[in-house]
Amino acid sequence: MARALRYIFLIGIGLSILVGLFLRPEHPHFWWERIPASEAIFGFLGCILLVVGCKFLGHRWLQRYEDYYSD
Amino acid sequence: MIETVPPAFIFMVGAIFLPILRERRLNQVFQLLIPAIAFIDLLYMDQGTYWSYQFLGYELIFGRVDKLSLCFGYIFVIIAFLGMAYALHMREVGQQVAAFLYIGSTLGVTFAGDLFTLFAFWEIMAISAVFLIWHQRTEAALNAGFRYIMVHIFGGCALLAGIIIHVVNTGSIHFGYIEYGGLASLLILLGFIISAAVPPFHAWLADAYPEATVTGAVFLSAFTTKSAVYVLARSFPGVEPLMWLGAIMAVYGVVYALMENDIRRVLAYHIISQVGYMVCGVGIGTEMGLNGSIAHAFCHILYKALLFMGTGAVIHVTGKRKITELQGRNLYKMMPICLSLYLIAGFSISGVPLFNGFISKNMVVAAAAEIHRVPVYLFLHLASIGTFLSTTLKLPYGTWFGKAPEGENLEEIEAEEPPLNMLIAMGLTAFLCIFTGLYPRVLYDILPYAVDYHPYAPSHVVVSMQLLLFTAAAFWLSIDKLGGEATISLDTDWFYRKPGMLLLWLFSHPLQGLRFGLQSLFTRMVTNAISLSKNPILVPEIAIRYIHLMVINRLYHALGLYEDKLDELRELQSRLAAMRKMTYDNDVYRRPIGLGVLLALTLLFVYGLIYFIVLR
Repeated sequence: MARALRYIFLIGIGLSILVGLFLRPEHPHFWWERIPASEAIFGFLGCILLVVGCKFLGHRWLQRYEDYYSD
Repeated sequence: MIETVPPAFIFMVGAIFLPILRERRLNQVFQLLIPAIAFIDLLYMDQGTYWSYQFLGYELIFGRVDKLSLCFGYIFVIIAFLGMAYALHMREVGQQVAAFLYIGSTLGVTFAGDLFTLFAFWEIMAISAVFLIWHQRTEAALNAGFRYIMVHIFGGCALLAGIIIHVVNTGSIHFGYIEYGGLASLLILLGFIISAAVPPFHAWLADAYPEATVTGAVFLSAFTTKSAVYVLARSFPGVEPLMWLGAIMAVYGVVYALMENDIRRVLAYHIISQVGYMVCGVGIGTEMGLNGSIAHAFCHILYKALLFMGTGAVIHVTGKRKITELQGRNLYKMMPICLSLYLIAGFSISGVPLFNGFISKNMVVAAAAEIHRVPVYLFLHLASIGTFLSTTLKLPYGTWFGKAPEGENLEEIEAEEPPLNMLIAMGLTAFLCIFTGLYPRVLYDILPYAVDYHPYAPSHVVVSMQLLLFTAAAFWLSIDKLGGEATISLDTDWFYRKPGMLLLWLFSHPLQGLRFGLQSLFTRMVTNAISLSKNPILVPEIAIRYIHLMVINRLYHALGLYEDKLDELRELQSRLAAMRKMTYDNDVYRRPIGLGVLLALTLLFVYGLIYFIVLR
């Protein structure tokens, strides 16, 4: 099950990039929309940015012990 | 022709009859019948203005029916039905009554044509909602409910102040487009955005919703914020600050959701994030932006309710609500149907093609792209990534799968699928999520403006899939870092919770001490006055002796003679005490006074006699 899911996922990734090369957006609003797989790059980097950013913010500042307010 | 009635009244009258129907089956039928009647009522309502009444020279309008109010009316009634079905197993009638009043007042807000009616229903909405939180019957829920109601009363006061200034300025109580600028509009806007949970006024939502009951949270997730979106779309379309606030809000909610451990708090932060899209669309104010906002509100109510139903089912079955308590217990083996239905909602909120978030969220993003606002567009895009990451990947992974912390042996928990009525309600909601995703026309046709947007253009689908699949890839790589952490996160509620505790300390320590001090001072004074009044004639003497005692006491202290004169002081003290104990005795004073009077009279008589004899 998990193995099958992994293959489906990898095939999906390959397919989305491949089809994306041939299907260009009809009315691009921004310059980066013309770069192939720009959304894929944005998704990947955005996700990493969010994880790293949240961990940094949380551990350095915002996350506290659960009884923070009841002390 | 069927005579229609204001849909708000259907629910409010229903709330009166609900506790009277003691027969359980009948009560359950009634709970589902009322939303059904309200829906039929809505179908027969034509556009126009109905049910207006004169009040203090103003015209109150309970039914302003147009495409905007109808669209919200439909979804509110639909989710009322689904939420009632989800709560059908419950035996707490108080909670159902609160839910009916809450739904009714939201519909009242939706169809209100004037500001007074709007305000009245607005307040009923806040007050009835808090009972859905308090019914959880925990101390945390009680406290969170009080904070909820205080924030909303503050918002209501701002709204009322704004309405009064507006009415005085314009002379009209009509509820419609309000020109942005000036104190009145700012106060009204403040009232609205507090209910829309726009940062920095958003903390009440993430604070209170996770403390609500399992079934109450489903209603809460649907009504308050979305009715705020409705009134914003009605009164403040195209107000640019809303666009920026909405974009910031979308990312803000996502960032906090990623740090949270409580599963319903994760979802609560995602309400803030998703409402950000709607507020942003209203702020953009183009036909596409407004249509997108309203369509997204419609879809959001469905999938967000389903998300709360799914997590609520886990809490209902296991009694646990944190990722750190749930991860590694492999719940997916015990509740696969619940997991699948949750994932449908997850795909919807993330904007996976074929699910309803895809057809509505992307309208708002496209509206931002159309007016070439690069930061807004990028913020909304980033929020999409974060939404997929935390609601559809991190949360279900932690809740239903996940790895137990190393070296920790988890005790087995008994888990099973939730009750049938919960599963049916979730199934119906999931069906509607997919149905509106597959046939967007159904939704687009009831939007206020004509829709010229094709969600399933092939290039849209492909770029959406790229974005989501690569987000998933990044999740896969960082999966070890994304386990639950047993913490809470500081948010803007800090500003009233911590200083609030300081205020409490101030009252309970210094001010309380001052109260006791003053009280004992007055008590002593009263006791002294009572004891002295027993013998008022001795008061001057007691006072003199008291002062004398005090003076020589100090004097001996100062001169260092205290030790030697101790006996003398004791003697004086005991005499004073004895004198204070003396009660008034008539006989003690009668003789000297009588003698004095006799003497005076005798002398007067003698004097008179001499005077009389001599001067004659």
